[in-house]
Amino acid sequence: MNFVLGTALLAVVTALACALPGTFIVLRKNSMLVDAISHAVLPGIVVGYFFTQDLESPLLIVGAALAGLVVAVGSEWLGRTGLLTGDAPQGLVFPALFSAGVILVTAKFANVHLDTHAVLVGDLNLAAWEQLTVGGVSIGPTYLYVMLAVLALNCAFLGAGYSRLKVTTFDPQFAGSLGIRVGLVNTAFMFVVSLTVTAAFHAAGAILVIALMIVPPATAYLLSRRLPVLFALTAVIAAGGALAGFWIAYELDAATSAGMAVFYGLVFVVGYLGTRIEQRRRHRLHAVRAVSTAQSAS
Amino acid sequence: MTSASARRDGEFACVARNLSVAYRAEPVLRNVDLFVPRGVVMGVVGPNGAGKSTLIKAMLGLVKPLTGRTEFFGLPLARVRQRVGYMPQSATVDWDFPTTVQDVVLMGTYGSLGWLRRPGRAERARAMAAMEQTGIADLASRQIGELSGGQRQRVFLARTLVQSPDLYFMDEPFQGVDAKSQQAIVAVLHALREQGKTVVIVHHDLVTVREYCDHVTLLNQRVVSSGPAAESFTKENIRTAYDVAADDDSFLEFVS
Repeated sequence: MNFVLGTALLAVVTALACALPGTFIVLRKNSMLVDAISHAVLPGIVVGYFFTQDLESPLLIVGAALAGLVVAVGSEWLGRTGLLTGDAPQGLVFPALFSAGVILVTAKFANVHLDTHAVLVGDLNLAAWEQLTVGGVSIGPTYLYVMLAVLALNCAFLGAGYSRLKVTTFDPQFAGSLGIRVGLVNTAFMFVVSLTVTAAFHAAGAILVIALMIVPPATAYLLSRRLPVLFALTAVIAAGGALAGFWIAYELDAATSAGMAVFYGLVFVVGYLGTRIEQRRRHRLHAVRAVSTAQSAS
Repeated sequence: MTSASARRDGEFACVARNLSVAYRAEPVLRNVDLFVPRGVVMGVVGPNGAGKSTLIKAMLGLVKPLTGRTEFFGLPLARVRQRVGYMPQSATVDWDFPTTVQDVVLMGTYGSLGWLRRPGRAERARAMAAMEQTGIADLASRQIGELSGGQRQRVFLARTLVQSPDLYFMDEPFQGVDAKSQQAIVAVLHALREQGKTVVIVHHDLVTVREYCDHVTLLNQRVVSSGPAAESFTKENIRTAYDVAADDDSFLEFVS
């Protein structure tokens, strides 16, 4: 497979794998947790690399995802103690874990080859370097298939858990009264998010993965009033934005994930302005109609 | 438990014994015993911070009590979950959530469906019947954010009706409702009583307590009184629950 095509496909698949679980993150108003998780997986990745010597090993991804889960579960637990409020627990947990990761990298523990640049924003082109060949024919980057597997897992999880995720997100207390195990659903969902963040680390790094996860569903949220529509729009924005961002970066010879993040930001601004204009138009229409009915009544 | 007391518990829709709850170091409920006879509408009444909502949540296991346990129809909750319905306060959810009235009402059927089964035609028919009963059938495809406060309460009520439980817990169903919604909710309460269902409502408008409830529990961190309204909802008990001096009775004129 052509390198450019393979990398572009990788960008689209990574964007979809991140954005779909991102919808429930946005609905749960938990966006910054993604940032916390994406930083906290770093020590997990370094230690995992020590054992597997392979950044794309499923074992490494699952192990590092557990480190990400530490932030989600740990900060929830700290919050429940009532000693800290708001998102302070997250702010406490993830910098410590991220710093531990940075120290491990600089101490050349595990001889992992990660430079600061790649840790922060990832490098899609580097990630797409290693090609998978079947019978001597290249069928695209190995990493593409890792992300395809993650995308498939996310679709399966969201499909199977759709009703439970919806009701626990909308009204956790009511869900609890139905006998749904709200804590279990939350932890399973956080694990899937953490797994996705870890897998996407290669492509988007610790900082930009939040853009891939949050911005497409946040934009779709402005435009949709039903959950299925929200999912469809999220997928369209994620995939379209990934292609456009990839092209921008390709033309400018810039980092692909940064190109995607900037383009997502632009789409959000356009979506926001569009809904504001539409709202104002509708208000004016209402006002005009109210005046004309008042006039015809009098 | 002896068989005699088991039989006695069977007369009650719900029995809570010795419930104590604390938020951090702050005690909210102290050794509360509550007996809810079958087929009554019981009002749980008390001042702000009396622990009314907490009592219901603790009984339903949504808040972990320090001590005590609750049985429903003589059994632990896990075994009779389908017979117990809960209507939380509507202010606790995000009404901008991208979903429709019908979808929210359908959530009431999730408990009887497994992980994978989606609501089908039978569930949708039940949801429609519940929406008709609460007078919101014409709003079925509206986004929930477009509703008024009273309509929101009726959506929550319909969601609980869909479960067709035998015992209802409603947390402030009349909060922030207009006259029309109030009428619709009262009509549902009366219909439930006629069907022999049991209803426990958290209520804080003292004037309407006698109108809606045939049993009253006055609560202020502990149970001040509980029983048929005529015996329990007296001036003296209200004064105790609300911590008001005897000569300041002007606000109790509605109590005969």
